[in-house]
Amino acid sequence: MIHSLSSPPLGKAAVKVAAALAGVLLATAACGGGSSGGGDASGTAGLKGKTVTFVGYGKDNPWGASFNGVFVPKLESQGVKVVDLTTMDPGTAVTNFNQAISNKPDLIVAALLDTSSTVVPIKKAKQAGIPVLVFDGRPDPSVDGDVMQVLSDSEALGTAAAQNLVEGLKAQGRTSGSIIAITGTKSGFAAQDRMKGFDAELAKTPEYKVVDIQDGNWDPTLSGKIATQLFAKYGCSGIQGAYGMADYQALPIVAAAKQAGCPVGGKNGLIVTGSNCFKAGIDAIKGGTLYGTATEDPGTIAEQTADYVIRYFNQQNPPAKELVKEERVTAKNVAQFAEQCSKA
Amino acid sequence: MNVMSARPRSAAPIRRPGLVVDGVLLLAVLAAIVLALTTDRFLTVANAKAILTSASLVGIAALGLTLITIGGSAVSLAISPSVAAVGMIFLSAQSLGLIAALVLAVLCGTLITGLQGAVVGYAAANPVVLTIAASFAITGIATGVSGGSTVSPTAGGYDRLNATPGGVALSVYVLIGLALIVEWTLRRTGFGRSLYLIGENRRAARAAGLPVGRMTAVAWLGAGALFAVTAAFTAAFNTSANVNLGGTLTFDAIAAVLAGGTPISGGRGSALRTLAGAVLIAAASDILLLRGYSTGVQIMVKGVIVLVVVVTVHLRTRGSRA
Repeated sequence: MIHSLSSPPLGKAAVKVAAALAGVLLATAACGGGSSGGGDASGTAGLKGKTVTFVGYGKDNPWGASFNGVFVPKLESQGVKVVDLTTMDPGTAVTNFNQAISNKPDLIVAALLDTSSTVVPIKKAKQAGIPVLVFDGRPDPSVDGDVMQVLSDSEALGTAAAQNLVEGLKAQGRTSGSIIAITGTKSGFAAQDRMKGFDAELAKTPEYKVVDIQDGNWDPTLSGKIATQLFAKYGCSGIQGAYGMADYQALPIVAAAKQAGCPVGGKNGLIVTGSNCFKAGIDAIKGGTLYGTATEDPGTIAEQTADYVIRYFNQQNPPAKELVKEERVTAKNVAQFAEQCSKA
Repeated sequence: MNVMSARPRSAAPIRRPGLVVDGVLLLAVLAAIVLALTTDRFLTVANAKAILTSASLVGIAALGLTLITIGGSAVSLAISPSVAAVGMIFLSAQSLGLIAALVLAVLCGTLITGLQGAVVGYAAANPVVLTIAASFAITGIATGVSGGSTVSPTAGGYDRLNATPGGVALSVYVLIGLALIVEWTLRRTGFGRSLYLIGENRRAARAAGLPVGRMTAVAWLGAGALFAVTAAFTAAFNTSANVNLGGTLTFDAIAAVLAGGTPISGGRGSALRTLAGAVLIAAASDILLLRGYSTGVQIMVKGVIVLVVVVTVHLRTRGSRA
């Protein structure tokens, strides 16, 4: 009885609150629609007062944290207002992208955690006349022409990894060899493009063959487990080279090889390469357990992306697509890249 | 006479579900054995070592979760962030020496999870809701303190955790040793017996004068220590640690506990069952990998195993209570 008596007033109150809220939202939307907002897609010259909504990787990702730490301060120092809508959750990223469109900034800068689910938001941004700059990974081909891009050269990263392996195996005097690859999320363009470059480069030396490719999902622990099982499957004599798509995947491969009793590095040991560098990878190259890696460090791409934004706002007409130059790193040149690769 | 004649009729429906479940289970086990025996390279010493190594890190965390589950607190959803945070502490403390870093890691792990256990035990907080909140808080603090960057070891002592005495990973010995200790604690100590009672019926345990809050908190403290051991081994294996170090460990540990047959409702189960669950899942993944199936298929099969065991346990429990 108490419940039935008290619930109607609560229900009415809730309806009133909901109605008031809806009214406020409608009014806000109407006002927003009437105002000029920003969103000047033509890009008036100068950076002061420009607004960038940043739908990048979240700070809980080391690569993202390092990128954001370079990108945001560089733009803010030029007078650009950066609205932070970063996240590592693909679903939230789509919501944030839609939120960014409704904010009507001068530019949306986005990292695409899920390329398919961001197709619609990119199209919406285009309809709303808001320019979008995508960094790191490429967008879905259906919206490739609708966005500006500053991309990591994933194919070059794969090529560098293959070159590291071939160089290391040849240096050991091996005339043939079996290679395993533990990739990032296979369905993502980054992993696909890296494997494209890797396979193409390795095809030049058919004596070195990839015997197993497994999806490590950019997860170091999973990569270590897979490596442990692969060393059991093929034995130490069955694997001469290994590619972990990121240094944090390559290092668990090294640990798994050691635990399986397989020698690593040196004159006869397993040759392991990463392909986007981290401090622990640089230390491992210096220690001789990791043969090599390649750059794709967050600082370099953050600098180039911020520079692109500055050129765009200054109406210097940057090209629609820019690739970041990636470098191969081995013991020979590790000192040169040690600092650049030690920020994430 | 009527009563006597009615007995067989009433007993029949009780036994049938149990028989069916047992039959299905037997067939599944036979099928798995056939699959394993017909998989090339499955029956090798190297592969057995690989399965145990794969099971060890998840298994140690799952032992901790077993304490939580048996005590009636269902599950902790904050295992991965706890392991990540403790792994970062462990590697950053390497300059103090391996033992000091281990002690610090276990202390921090015990504190992080023990605090959650105290709230669950004394304030009767919902463990699922609480640990969701805790996982956000732990990740937030770890990200804030580390600035989101990856922690690299400050000295090389950690590598001793990657040792392979007798050709088997050290983490395997630790898993087996800890499983025996947890099993003994559950079966042979007053704490263990109380934990089963609390998990079976919290209200009755309280009425019987058992210190429910304290026992629950102690179970979570123990779990925290075991999560910390997992963290140290995982960080040492990966040579670096960040907030993503735990990966899918929360769900892997839950899967191992459930696959071992410990019911989510608590009051029953054992550490050795959890050990078996962890090895079962690792063996299933191994068979699939040896047969060339993708990671996606391996994850799907893990889910199917957990589902089958949970349904089996449920049907058997219902059958025995009917």
